[in-house]
Amino acid sequence: MTELDHRVKGVDHAAFPTFDPAGTVHFYRDVLGFPVVHSICAVGWGPEDHPDFIHFFFDIGNDDRIAFFYYFGFEPVHSRERGDAYAGFGPEIPEFFVRSRHLAIHVENTDDLLEYRHRLDSSAWPVEMQIKHETIESIYTHDPNGYLIEITMPLRPVTPQEDLDANLTIDALLDVVAEPDPTIGKLLARKAELIVDRAAAWELARAGQAAGR
Amino acid sequence: MTTLYVLDIPENTPLAKVAAEDSGVTVGRIGPYFEITASGAIMIDRRATGCRHAVWYSAIGGVARGSRITQHDKDALRVEPA
Repeated sequence: MTELDHRVKGVDHAAFPTFDPAGTVHFYRDVLGFPVVHSICAVGWGPEDHPDFIHFFFDIGNDDRIAFFYYFGFEPVHSRERGDAYAGFGPEIPEFFVRSRHLAIHVENTDDLLEYRHRLDSSAWPVEMQIKHETIESIYTHDPNGYLIEITMPLRPVTPQEDLDANLTIDALLDVVAEPDPTIGKLLARKAELIVDRAAAWELARAGQAAGR
Repeated sequence: MTTLYVLDIPENTPLAKVAAEDSGVTVGRIGPYFEITASGAIMIDRRATGCRHAVWYSAIGGVARGSRITQHDKDALRVEPA
């Protein structure tokens, strides 16, 4: 495990290109109610062939932001039906892969999740799925650029043992991907060994910390 | 010996409880994990656990070498000696 101190403070911004600034502003500002908090009008920026552009930001809570680039005179980079403004995918690419990259925005409770569900369902971008996962519940839609957006709430607080479990999973993963032909079966066998090696000591250390408080 | 590890979190406790109903199965603990062992097969009925699918398919913490999963679908989880 890392001994490095952890100094970062969340997402400053995540940036995406758009060819539909009107739809993008309508979706994020007018439908979801995310305020516009910053924009840059960039003229003659960068190398000679770099188009002029607008870089604009919406507040997604917690002072974190989602940002877009609109490049004047720059045409869409693909014409495939599947994918988004950034990348297109042919029929040979499975759907699970296309849907793997997404942005999940956090809300605190069911009221807030359902409020955003209501806003989306009243718009041209209704909720496509509402799913109760292991410990979170989420709604999904695609924004006007084809980006998959998730809004998610915790079903309960994360427990300390889930952090241990995550670390054992990742250590087991690194071990099995260092060998040929990694499989989930090999990972679960390696993880069983790590559980035997570390889980009891972890609980003892935690009990010791609690007693020392 | 068949050994299956399941993390002790609220969603997984019904799974350990259902496993323990089989007299041939022992549910112990190692740290925050249930250590579910049997000399033969461990069989857990999903509907008896009431686990929804997302929980059911992510509940396995580890499977000891010498054991293997022979069924893990919407009906049941079965772990047997390899």
